Amino acid sequence: MAELQTQNVKKQKPGLFKQNQLAIIVLVLLILFPFIMSLITGQPANEGKPKFWEGQFINFFIMAVYAMSYDLLMGYTGILSFGHAAFFGAGAYTMALWLTHFAPLISSQYKITLPGGMDITTTLLFIVALLLVLIVSILMGLFFSGASVRVKGVYFAMITLAIGEAFHILSKATDFVKWTGADEGLHGVPVPLWINPTQHRLRFYFMALFFMVVMYLFLKRVTESPTGRVFVAIRENENRVRMIGFNPATYRSLAFVTSAIAAGLSGAMFSLWNMSATPSMTSAVTTINALIMTILGGVGTLIGPILGAGLMQIFSQFFYQWFGARWPLVFGLIFIALVVFLPYGIVGTYRLRKQGMKAGWTRFTKQFSAKK
Amino acid sequence: MKNFSKSNKTLLIVFGLLLILGLFAYFTMGQTSFVRTSLSGLTIGALYFMVAAGLTLVFGLMDVLNFAHGTTFMIGAYMGWQFFTNPSFLFGVAPLLIAFLAGISANTLLQVYVTQWKIDESKREWIKRGLILMALVFGLIGVWGIDFLDLAETAMVAITFTTNPLSELSPQLPLAVFWYRPLLMLFSGALLAVAIAGPGDKTKTLHVDNAKRGWIVVAVLIVLTIVSVLVRESGPEAVLLMNADLRFVLSLLVGALIGAGFGAAMEASLIRPLYVRPMYQVLVTLGVAYVFKEVIQVLWEPLAYQMSRPPFFSQPGKADNLIAWFSTHNTTVDILGVTFPSYRLFIILLGILMLIGLAILMNFTRFGMIIRAGVQDRSMVEALGINVRRVFTLVFALGAGLAALGGIGAAPFIPVQPNMGDAFQLQGFIVVVIGGMGSYSGAAIGALLLGMARAFGDYLALKFSLSPAISEASTVIIMAIILIVKPSGLFGKKE
Repeated sequence: MAELQTQNVKKQKPGLFKQNQLAIIVLVLLILFPFIMSLITGQPANEGKPKFWEGQFINFFIMAVYAMSYDLLMGYTGILSFGHAAFFGAGAYTMALWLTHFAPLISSQYKITLPGGMDITTTLLFIVALLLVLIVSILMGLFFSGASVRVKGVYFAMITLAIGEAFHILSKATDFVKWTGADEGLHGVPVPLWINPTQHRLRFYFMALFFMVVMYLFLKRVTESPTGRVFVAIRENENRVRMIGFNPATYRSLAFVTSAIAAGLSGAMFSLWNMSATPSMTSAVTTINALIMTILGGVGTLIGPILGAGLMQIFSQFFYQWFGARWPLVFGLIFIALVVFLPYGIVGTYRLRKQGMKAGWTRFTKQFSAKK
Repeated sequence: MKNFSKSNKTLLIVFGLLLILGLFAYFTMGQTSFVRTSLSGLTIGALYFMVAAGLTLVFGLMDVLNFAHGTTFMIGAYMGWQFFTNPSFLFGVAPLLIAFLAGISANTLLQVYVTQWKIDESKREWIKRGLILMALVFGLIGVWGIDFLDLAETAMVAITFTTNPLSELSPQLPLAVFWYRPLLMLFSGALLAVAIAGPGDKTKTLHVDNAKRGWIVVAVLIVLTIVSVLVRESGPEAVLLMNADLRFVLSLLVGALIGAGFGAAMEASLIRPLYVRPMYQVLVTLGVAYVFKEVIQVLWEPLAYQMSRPPFFSQPGKADNLIAWFSTHNTTVDILGVTFPSYRLFIILLGILMLIGLAILMNFTRFGMIIRAGVQDRSMVEALGINVRRVFTLVFALGAGLAALGGIGAAPFIPVQPNMGDAFQLQGFIVVVIGGMGSYSGAAIGALLLGMARAFGDYLALKFSLSPAISEASTVIIMAIILIVKPSGLFGKKE
């Protein structure tokens, strides 16, 4: 009797663990992953095969944040933007430019030490870099939303495309070759030693994982807040939002800024991870990758883009081995098939069919139990 | 007069501004560089117009943002170039494609019979899927074993009129081995047609006239298949041996037609089911662009090719003026003291001809009237009993054909490579935004503006020792200014 009661109570209000069971299990698995890998392969977690797989996962974490930031625009607010790579590239270039040109200059002239005698100059400069990325992202978001405040829909998409492409052209313009390295981009960015991705792979792995989890929670909080509800309302019916008394332009630029921050930070992380910033990070291909990841996983969800980023990582890793240099052909065909037949992505379709699947599963299991 | 100036206010303002800027530039730059810059501006503008015209029509009529437009431009260039240098690929593929099309186009006639079949409702979907699967299998058997890569092989620079023109030719499969393939493709298409027609679906109805028209289409396509099978081996030789100028004109036509066919096929198969989800249409066009860029790279390697100019534009030397050029056909012409490639003049002419053709089509034909009405109010046109679906497909085909024509027109003076359309597509989008969606005259003005901006921007960049990338990026600024003044573009419909 007592058991039954507690069960009832539990059913009414599931605890934090029960509610997010799957998420927590996945998180724990991800945290343990490097050690499991090193157990399986018998190599230390910072070398050999584990190192390679950690690299794959780091890439996935960073791209997942980037895809989520795109989904905040496309899936939640209903803004089709084709200039998203500009945010990503802005973050990457800000980080790389700061670390290559400004940080060494400052650290060679000034030393900041704690009372204990610890040198914290590089750490401080790194924090400044993060702040700079934040500021640049916010400015970029404001610029994009400001430049297109008077237009809507597909017009808007074209304008974002044009602005994004303008940034791409500028990023590989030979006029700034001294700063940006033009076509080749910046390579060998002097990343602070304590997070150097080649020497401290394991540390970088945890940093990227932490980054993804924090950004996921942040974006989840945003989308579940009243502001996030307005974003969704704008997607559904902008006129009605205006009637209720919200200014859609304000909320659209809010969405833009939030998305730009997430994308800019992921770009900064990406430039740290690759120790470079190249014009390909601002190109249309990068935007299209975000789009594909979002569509693949499921529009209008946060888990979807993460899944999509993971699948994309697998595709780009193995399709090359399976299909050779022309693997994007197969990938493009899959993409078209997805758009036509599975428009809500993996997560969206699962959510749509969840009831049916569950019913089918219970019928299936009942059949078995009846036979027994 | 007052009415005229009122209704064409924007046009007059734009031309006035251009005139003032032009005069200013003329007096600061001097005649030679001014003429050279404006001529190259006109060339670029003509190319932009060819891309943007289709884009703006497609967008204005059906709100589809076509990201595959640059790809169509590229496909047109590749196809025309292939026809010009080594048509064996086109001749080898044509019978299969036409046979398949003949099969598919039978769906309207088949509908009359197929829908009468007595099939249980629960089985219909499965039968449909089975038919599609069978069609796929037959189609695959039909093309299995053909060495497309071998057919498509072409040298980096095809020399067409100095040495043996047949040097590029690749061997075709002999008819004795080939004959069953078109039949299989026909069968595959027919199976697909049955699946589309909806076996046992009595809710579909068809007018007798349409069925009759369907017969004619199928008959014509089957005759074309037979002809294309027969000329498969002799055709390429005949094409390569004919007068190179005539061959160039034909390759313009072939490129445009293939582009139009590509557009129509894309609209009918992928875009049409998605009119309820506009965002996904954009994504599908993106996917199509992605796939076809890769297909082209599979066939011709990711290389840049150079198409040679037809002899009409490539006699060595320089003509003293335009009139003298008509008798000498030199590579370059002297225009007001500026040495200018004559082929570029042809591109300007092509752009102007296209504008005139479009103006006639839009203003003096029934089809153009429907398009104009559709841009204004699509649902009203539909309510008047016009088959908007078919108009959509036709407009898509028209737009794609124009882009492809632009592509093959541009091929002799820009490298033919898989991403040649991308830059033009981007500038085409900007042109459309500037000119206003759905207005071909707006696209013309926008293209002119942008072309001039690019040319003069390049001139200025050179003068201040900057890279041309700056002037490329600055076109965005023009767009931003115009959007701030007029959010719907210069000649766009008001929201």
